[in-house]
Amino acid sequence: MIAYVTRRLLHAIPVLLGISILVFMLFHVVGGNPVYRMLGKNADAEEIARMTHQLGLDRPVWAQYLHYLASLAHGDFGRSWETKQRISTMLAEGFWPSLSLAVPSFMIASVLAVLISMLAVLYRYRKADRILVVLSVLGMSLSILAFIIGAQFLLAYRYDLFPISGYENGFRGLPYLALPMLIWVANQLGGDVRYYRSVLLEEINREYVVTARARGLSKGQAMYRHVLPNALIPIITRLVMGIPLLFTGSLLLENFFGIPGLGNMSVNALNASDFPVIEAMTLFGSALYIAANIIGDVLYAVFDPRVKLS
Amino acid sequence: MSQAPRNTRVSVPRGRSLWTREARASRETAVSSLLTALCAALADYAPVAVLGTTLLLCIGCTPSRKHLGNVFRAPLGSNLKTLDPAQASDQYSNQCQFQVYETLFEYKYLSRPYDIQPCLAARPPEISPDGKTYVIHMRPGVEFQDDVCFPGGKGRLVTARDFVYSIKRMCDVRVKTFGWWIFDGKVVGLDEFRKKSEALPPYPEQWHPALYDEDLPGLRALDDSTVQIMLIQPYPYFKDILAMPYAAIIPHEAVEYYGEEFLNHAVGTGPYKLTEWRHGLRLVFDRNPKYHHGFYPTEGAASDSAAGLLADAGKPLPFIDRIVFTIFEETQPMWLNFLRGNLDRSTIPKDNYGDAVLPSKSLRSEYESKGIELVQAKDLDVFYVCFNLEDPILGKHKMLRQAMSLAYDAKQVIELFANGRGITAQSPIPPGLFGYDSTFAGPYGHYDLEAAKALLSKAGFPGGQGLPEFEFLTMTGSDLRQQGEHFAQCMARIGIKIKVSIFTWPEYLDRLKRKQTQIMRAAWSADYPDPENFLQLLYGPNASPGENNANYRNPEYDSLYRVMAVIPDSPERLKVVRRMQELLAEDCPWIYSYHRINETLRYQWLKNHVPHAVLDAPIKYYRIDAEARRGYLGG
Repeated sequence: MIAYVTRRLLHAIPVLLGISILVFMLFHVVGGNPVYRMLGKNADAEEIARMTHQLGLDRPVWAQYLHYLASLAHGDFGRSWETKQRISTMLAEGFWPSLSLAVPSFMIASVLAVLISMLAVLYRYRKADRILVVLSVLGMSLSILAFIIGAQFLLAYRYDLFPISGYENGFRGLPYLALPMLIWVANQLGGDVRYYRSVLLEEINREYVVTARARGLSKGQAMYRHVLPNALIPIITRLVMGIPLLFTGSLLLENFFGIPGLGNMSVNALNASDFPVIEAMTLFGSALYIAANIIGDVLYAVFDPRVKLS
Repeated sequence: MSQAPRNTRVSVPRGRSLWTREARASRETAVSSLLTALCAALADYAPVAVLGTTLLLCIGCTPSRKHLGNVFRAPLGSNLKTLDPAQASDQYSNQCQFQVYETLFEYKYLSRPYDIQPCLAARPPEISPDGKTYVIHMRPGVEFQDDVCFPGGKGRLVTARDFVYSIKRMCDVRVKTFGWWIFDGKVVGLDEFRKKSEALPPYPEQWHPALYDEDLPGLRALDDSTVQIMLIQPYPYFKDILAMPYAAIIPHEAVEYYGEEFLNHAVGTGPYKLTEWRHGLRLVFDRNPKYHHGFYPTEGAASDSAAGLLADAGKPLPFIDRIVFTIFEETQPMWLNFLRGNLDRSTIPKDNYGDAVLPSKSLRSEYESKGIELVQAKDLDVFYVCFNLEDPILGKHKMLRQAMSLAYDAKQVIELFANGRGITAQSPIPPGLFGYDSTFAGPYGHYDLEAAKALLSKAGFPGGQGLPEFEFLTMTGSDLRQQGEHFAQCMARIGIKIKVSIFTWPEYLDRLKRKQTQIMRAAWSADYPDPENFLQLLYGPNASPGENNANYRNPEYDSLYRVMAVIPDSPERLKVVRRMQELLAEDCPWIYSYHRINETLRYQWLKNHVPHAVLDAPIKYYRIDAEARRGYLGG
């Protein structure tokens, strides 16, 4: 397994390099000359030329890319055009607020989704199942923005159950995180329940389940002992693909609730065309997706004896 | 408890490796069983778990109404960029750094038209008869706030040398300031200083190079408390420049101590000191115990007195102990927090405007009953549509531009995009500035479709025939896109085709500065309250990449500008300004849109709150009626 993971990590290097070239070239084309922003509205031609030279922006693109790559190798993403902050510091500062919202929300939502799906499958094609299907389709169809605007207005402002927005470190932050967590869970449940229900439904109709039932296992026992373990691969796939989102945060949730996480940072960077930050987040997100893929493959091997890591 | 000896290794018998197929199978079974058992247990109690989780989330979530104290709470509409005065060019950075840093002069709080008064200066500047030499005496006994950058953490006395250092640093090429233009070509020797700074080693090798200590003829500390500035030619607005945040006095110790991170720290002489800055969340400022030199104004208009704005006349500042700026990237949470009483002041989001304000421009009764007040003030700005006169068609055909100006419905723009909060513009100069004339109307500054069509025919393009499709450049954002589409609709009425192109801010700037434009939307806010700040936007030598993005060149206008820039406010200056306005009205390098009217909401418990178009947040003058606030909020 170690050899496999090492090999996959080595394969990730050219992938990341490719992404870095794409990202750099893309933002080089659409980004314009950052000096215009840096010097503001009153800059004259001489000032602009001087600063362009000072920052090496008049050098060939490949030379600029190599410089960028060398900085990346030292963990230096540069500074934000907008806030002038060091991007590595911004990433470090935004990490915990994002995780403190995302990890509990993701875990609660995932466990609940699996449980609800199991209930739906156990009571399949009955009233309870139909209600759950309708609710999950509704949850899938509603944009998270609708959840946010509605819940913030009703639950936080009108009924005063939660703070409207804000963030604090540690346990003092729980009241502020409660409503965004609730929204996250509600939003994630729709799609997850629908997906897990299909997966479990497909599995429960297989012959080995009929055999198990014929052996005298109850519906619940068959579900817990046979259906769920066999449905784990697609479940793991979906869970693992959600991992990058835990780090990059929920863009709109953080923005509306004033949570100073990576999602908030990304939205601000997008709104302000702050390309160095967008570049860093794109690379960071890509690295996370690669890592999630590797973790997923390893988990497949752990949970499914048929899968071999070679 | 026994402890395993160090270096003990777990031995695995041969043939029973941890990674054998049997071991793995048994491990997988164990994991699987554990998972299924857990799921089974949870599944039995699923409804209880859902309810329990929800309840747990709700417990303790209702915010407590704790005692607020003498705190002022305001929103910031965007993340803060910097606290370094040399870099602070945006509204929010200025709002925050204004609480900590001070300049030699500051704007009088209640006086209109805007005028300055000494701040760190002891009295008004002594100006030589030729208007070129300023001698400024510093206020004695003012100290920087305590900070770890000073020996022993104790702030020291401010001297004239600090002012000289601050300006030199601001003009140092390496600082990459936004503000160099305020001194560019104005102070004897400063341009040469800037040139020499190019040769300095890059930051952070030398924060305080020997170059800073060299004598500069135009910028000298005559002694500890006297500054002398020599100008290349007289600039009547130079005193305003000395009140700009770029000219704030900073201690060199802070720059040297914090280095590249100076932008995240603030060490000044102002009424407050920065105590917390959580990026993306909030900034907290507390009263600076060393601040003793500010007093509430004793003079004001009769209306100020009637409004109770002179009740605190002569009292020492500040009145408020703590300021909390909360950052809101979205307007909904800001608005809801304001309505809940979690903020003392707020702007009105566009989407909530109709909810809060009646067409008669008064507040709806439910807002008034909450103790909310509406405050209106004219902003010093101008919104306009700009032609690039280097475009072979738009630059050559003046009548075409005049026709397009007549076809543009500025009043509709104000209604559609500014909720009616605007005054149609007829010149670059906004109301409230010297030279503004509310009766002045250019021949092409109104909406007249028939006249526009006639003029277009006269220009040789009847019904827009023979004209290519023009590109209207604007930036990302639904509001800006809609404004572009509105412009295209206006022009379509006379047969001119417009393609709206939307760019990100860097791309937009890139096109603008490289003159790759035809028509674009633009706006300008006053840096200082003088018409020169607006009229320079069309001065020939300022063509792109300078501020004259219309690339307008008119020899008469340029020579008038040079005269206007150096003579003080007088009938003679007014005459020059009027002529410049007439030239612009005739040549139409811009289509004027509007000057904004700023509307703010505040609670009645916020006292001494007067909108100020130049000062971003003069909180040192504000007072909180804590009793009234407690009555409303409880706690």
